[in-house]
Amino acid sequence: MKKKNWQSAFKNTLPVMMGYLAMGAAAGIVLAGTLPRLPATPLWGTVSSALSISGALQFIMVGWIKEGIALTDVVLLTIFLNLRYAMYGFSLIERFEGIPRWKKWYLIWTLTDETYALQCADKRADKNDSVDYCLKVAFLDHCYWISGVTLGALAGSALPFDCKGIDFAMTALFLVILTDQLREKVNRLPALTGFGAALLARIFFSVDRMLIPAMAVMTLVFLLARKKFEEESVKK
Amino acid sequence: MNSTLTYAFLIVLLASLTTVLLRAFPFIAFGRNKETPPLIRYLGSVISPAAIAMLCVYCFCSHWQSRGVPAGGAEFIAGTVVVGLQLWKRNPLLSILAGTVVYMILVQQF
Repeated sequence: MKKKNWQSAFKNTLPVMMGYLAMGAAAGIVLAGTLPRLPATPLWGTVSSALSISGALQFIMVGWIKEGIALTDVVLLTIFLNLRYAMYGFSLIERFEGIPRWKKWYLIWTLTDETYALQCADKRADKNDSVDYCLKVAFLDHCYWISGVTLGALAGSALPFDCKGIDFAMTALFLVILTDQLREKVNRLPALTGFGAALLARIFFSVDRMLIPAMAVMTLVFLLARKKFEEESVKK
Repeated sequence: MNSTLTYAFLIVLLASLTTVLLRAFPFIAFGRNKETPPLIRYLGSVISPAAIAMLCVYCFCSHWQSRGVPAGGAEFIAGTVVVGLQLWKRNPLLSILAGTVVYMILVQQF
């Protein structure tokens, strides 16, 4: 049973492996290109990717370190960036109930978009079997991500060519996510709200101070116009 | 350098801790009751696309700032490549790689 779970976890995480190795490598190269003076950059990549396991966060943290962000802003911005993770667990509560605490916390700690999708898709009837499989998926995905970032940081430190402009990878990542979200009509009005809030914030604040006011504005709009947004999402 | 390292480590630690707590939120707050509160579900669904749109604006602005231009064409060209490829091929890696290479060529050659 255990061996079979390793096999199916490996098979099912293969697409994630490709994605994480490539995306992690891009994040690692950006890290090495942006913060070349940080001691032991590749090791730094290993530690930060093992701890945070979040794609967008991995990219944007580099900018925060470079620009010198207030520590309270780190918490606020991370909440906004990763708020979606706070929804995922709801569908896993039942399955992860009553398992050893370290297993549960490891599963929570490693709960990325891709890992969550694979765990949700699992239809094993036996609960213990399913948790065993979920743990293996989480562990493999975690390893892919750490390897990607570390290898990228190693390559970035040794790259012979000019890395100027490589940080566009993060912008491209956000554009790709946005493009896919906008395929669904329900996301269009909220995205437009976020776009407007960001422009408004940029008019009144400098680039490195604009995110918090932008988030405040959009949250306010979402709370005040909740009826309107919910009607729109039902209509579409 | 030492203080930079401590500061960088604090950022990583705080961001990681916040992420873990977000991921743990349903397990901590609603271990027994399995319904997602409607307000949380609503905010979660609207904030996700809004935050990404905001980050796109932020990224463009910070590219312009670091290049010292009010609004540069390189970002628009590379951005169009990314969005166009993603609409056409739906392959995130291809879109990101192509857009980044185009951008690097534009800012290094012109």
